[in-house]
Amino acid sequence: MKKIFAYSALVLGTVVFAYPFVWMLMASFKPELEIGALNPLPSRWTWDSFALVFTAIPIGRAFLNSVLVTVTVTASALIFGSMAAYALAKLQWRGRDVVFNLILFTMMVPFLVMLIPLYTLVVGFGWTDSPAGLIVPFMMNATAVLILRQSFVTIPQDILDAARIDGCGEGRILFSVVWPLSVPALVTAGIIVFIGNWNEVLWPLVVIRSEHWMTMPQMVTLFAVGGGAEGKLGPQLAAALLLGVPVIGAYLFFQRHFISSLASTGLKG
Amino acid sequence: MMAAHRRNILLALQGACVLLIASCDPAPPVEVMGEGDVVHLTYWCAQNPQERALATQLVETWNAANPDVQVQVQPLPAGQSSEEVLIAAIVAGTTPDLSSNIWPGIISDFIRADGVYPLSSFPDFDSLMMSRVPADLLARFRAPDGIYYQIPWKTNPIMLLYNQQLFREAGIEQLPRTYSEFMAAAARLTRDLDGDGHMDQWAGYRRTHPIWHERRFDYYALYIGASGGKTLFDEGQVRIDTAASTKVFSFFRDVYAHHYFPLTTFQTSPILSGKVATEFTGPWQIGWLDENAPPGFEYGFTPLPVPDDYEGPAYTFGDYKNIVIFSNTRHPEEAWRFAKFLVSREADLQLLETTKQIPVRQGLLTDSLYAGFFARNPKVRPFAEVALYTRGEDGVSSLQEILDAIAQQFEAAAVYRVYSPEEATRRALARIRLIHEWNS
Amino acid sequence: MELLSPKSGNRAGYLFVAPYLLHLLLFFGYPLLFAVVLVFNRWDIVTPMEFVGLKNFGRMIHDDLFFRAILNTGLFLVIHIPLQIIVALFFAELLNSKLKGRTFFRTVYFLPVVVSGVVVTILFQQLFAFDTGFINNVLSALGGERVPWLVSPQWAMPSIALMATWKNAGLYVILFLAGLQNIPASLYEVSDIEGAGTWRKWWHITLPMLNPTVVTVVLLSTIGGFSLFIEPYVLTGGGPLNSTLSGLLYIYNQAFYFNHMGYAAALGLCFALIILGVVLLQRRFVETDVY
Repeated sequence: MKKIFAYSALVLGTVVFAYPFVWMLMASFKPELEIGALNPLPSRWTWDSFALVFTAIPIGRAFLNSVLVTVTVTASALIFGSMAAYALAKLQWRGRDVVFNLILFTMMVPFLVMLIPLYTLVVGFGWTDSPAGLIVPFMMNATAVLILRQSFVTIPQDILDAARIDGCGEGRILFSVVWPLSVPALVTAGIIVFIGNWNEVLWPLVVIRSEHWMTMPQMVTLFAVGGGAEGKLGPQLAAALLLGVPVIGAYLFFQRHFISSLASTGLKG
Repeated sequence: MMAAHRRNILLALQGACVLLIASCDPAPPVEVMGEGDVVHLTYWCAQNPQERALATQLVETWNAANPDVQVQVQPLPAGQSSEEVLIAAIVAGTTPDLSSNIWPGIISDFIRADGVYPLSSFPDFDSLMMSRVPADLLARFRAPDGIYYQIPWKTNPIMLLYNQQLFREAGIEQLPRTYSEFMAAAARLTRDLDGDGHMDQWAGYRRTHPIWHERRFDYYALYIGASGGKTLFDEGQVRIDTAASTKVFSFFRDVYAHHYFPLTTFQTSPILSGKVATEFTGPWQIGWLDENAPPGFEYGFTPLPVPDDYEGPAYTFGDYKNIVIFSNTRHPEEAWRFAKFLVSREADLQLLETTKQIPVRQGLLTDSLYAGFFARNPKVRPFAEVALYTRGEDGVSSLQEILDAIAQQFEAAAVYRVYSPEEATRRALARIRLIHEWNS
Repeated sequence: MELLSPKSGNRAGYLFVAPYLLHLLLFFGYPLLFAVVLVFNRWDIVTPMEFVGLKNFGRMIHDDLFFRAILNTGLFLVIHIPLQIIVALFFAELLNSKLKGRTFFRTVYFLPVVVSGVVVTILFQQLFAFDTGFINNVLSALGGERVPWLVSPQWAMPSIALMATWKNAGLYVILFLAGLQNIPASLYEVSDIEGAGTWRKWWHITLPMLNPTVVTVVLLSTIGGFSLFIEPYVLTGGGPLNSTLSGLLYIYNQAFYFNHMGYAAALGLCFALIILGVVLLQRRFVETDVY
């Protein structure tokens, strides 16, 4: 009895959490006038909405921009972040604790405070309307450092010492020894940084004005809020779908890693 | 990684950086051209396809006739708004020689940044303008320092678009002219088609989000009509016709109280799908409707409603786009020659043909050059008739904030009816004064 | 056994952390300093900065929209946080069992979390639309009344809170699940021996042991609530009657529509202090010691 209740609740939950996406998928293939109808299935499947999206806005370009920016940011956050995490976890040096607390502090200051000054800094460097403005300020990520540090701390000292005896420099130790042992943490940190950066919309709205360098979420936002969709709903939903698909794909691919490591590291946050 | 030395200097110069750019000498040396040297100009036009086509045609004509001055046209970098793009270009020093997509409301910011060239310094400015633009309209584009920095190029007057079939079905024989007539028509146009107790068709629709630019086409347009052609400022001072303002708020209040306009956000075009019978819009809509309307969609245009006791010509809001020459230009004389070409009789005809938008030119309907166009495009006629009775926004700084204040009052008094129209006018006036004070 | 000599350890440590620190100095330290300077100035980017002392704060005190934004965020949090905890805990409990297909459900529930806020907002704009929206169409078909989700000053912010709960539930389900699985079974066994009922077990064991997770959930939701931007930006423009004006949206308008950089910076600073205050209060009242 309890099981039936549990299952029906879970299925209801699935409907609630997944149906809107299903609806959006169907609606983007529907002829425009049918979208408001209750029946989710299209009477005929059409690519019209998608066609409008691709002709109205350079969404392919925006996708590439997002890929460029987010992959660079993620790689940078992981590389430099693990360097910092390694120094904080496994090396002894003066000021180590001070730096760690400083990094914690930076996580507390909301982006609100930094938004305007960061913008003027970027203007001063001449990085508006360029990928540099999107990448450079976010090349380091405190959350990634925290996650990696937590994982590095658990690596037995002996392994590192053995590598040192073999004559490895700290750099080689980090990338050849520590990294392979920390794959779950790297994946977790990587995914968190990736998703956060991919979905970021406020910063691109502020820094990028020219269509040439807009990121995908930014472009879809402006498409929906501005008049680009020519007053049609189908293209807006199609654009939103296109925006969501890469992330959903990546998520489904990595989800086992991600959910399990999120569960184990999440509590200590 | 930066060396500490360079980083310190960078930090020290950071704040001054933009300051330096902004205070840079705005008039770079004019190149002295020798005989046979070709001058190259860059010209930015608007992003939309019609204006790009127009610009390409005009530039081709010019380049063929003027081998010594070759113009390269580029659409304004598409982005959130062309105003931001232009300001950014001014700050960064990357402006073109001239552009024709300038919203008059942003001119004051351009002037403050020393970004635009004083056009009235050209000797033939006055004679050119007088032959094209009526004096009272032209005066509205003069900057507070008495100099003209912009040429009025084209305008999009706002009128009432109506669905002829829906009007026929509702039994409306005469087009509404006054507020009461509009109300009467609206009552007939708002109908419950499928008997579910809920309206399915409405008289009209306005997006009720309190965004500053939405109110240009409803409150502001009707205010200009109700006040007989006044705007919000006069000679740099706040001067609102409060009676007119209250009448406009009252009008919309009645509209929303009777639910003649729905309180929702349509994500699709309601006029196309037949959900609403009218729309406040401009001539750009003609091209769009021709492309996107379902077959058999019949529509017409009529002037915006005016207060019942109003007498006089029908004024309305004109969404102007003007031409400026940027102060960064190295060839002001040549840029001026090209600008003159852009507002010549022939270019204005091209403007009509390609974009169906109205050049700011007197005598459009009497000049035989344009007769053929209006014969073929009767729907554009009403706009040309009203073009010289339009008013744009005042060229004051912080215009967006002022319109935002109005949008707030509109929402409060008309849409949600939290207080009276008189109160709304009073509060709008108070806030506009405050904003003007803060920002001057 | 320390094989690393202090000196080379130091050097390596500094070297490795240097890129991070330099970046921090430039992209965190400098903007923070600049923010402090900016709040005492008036600036619109195109003209030079103008020192105005405390005028920005004077203006803030009289700015009813500023207080409105704080109130709106408060309303959002008051609805969102309890709802979020209840929903997430409910599903976490369900998933904390041997039911088949748990992984499938977990994956599906997490879907809204990874997707961009933009996607969710565009979706809900259609779902919540008054006359043509999906939810109202269903309600109407079932014989109910249409709800003015986004066009009523009373319903707009709760609608956004509902949307935010939907979007983030999956994340908190995972966190609660982990929290539940970390409760030692021995605690339950002991109380079983003592004959405690389900309800008592839940109230006296589960909830207290879940406290760290609850604290995390509350903290993350609060920060999320103060970061509301894209939802009001797309759905309501801050209306109706400023009922969905969030702090970030107001700051964005002031800075990028009206070019009041100094004032926007001052607003940002104030909101940041408020967030800090709220978080500290929450830690004090929500967090309990768990041994």
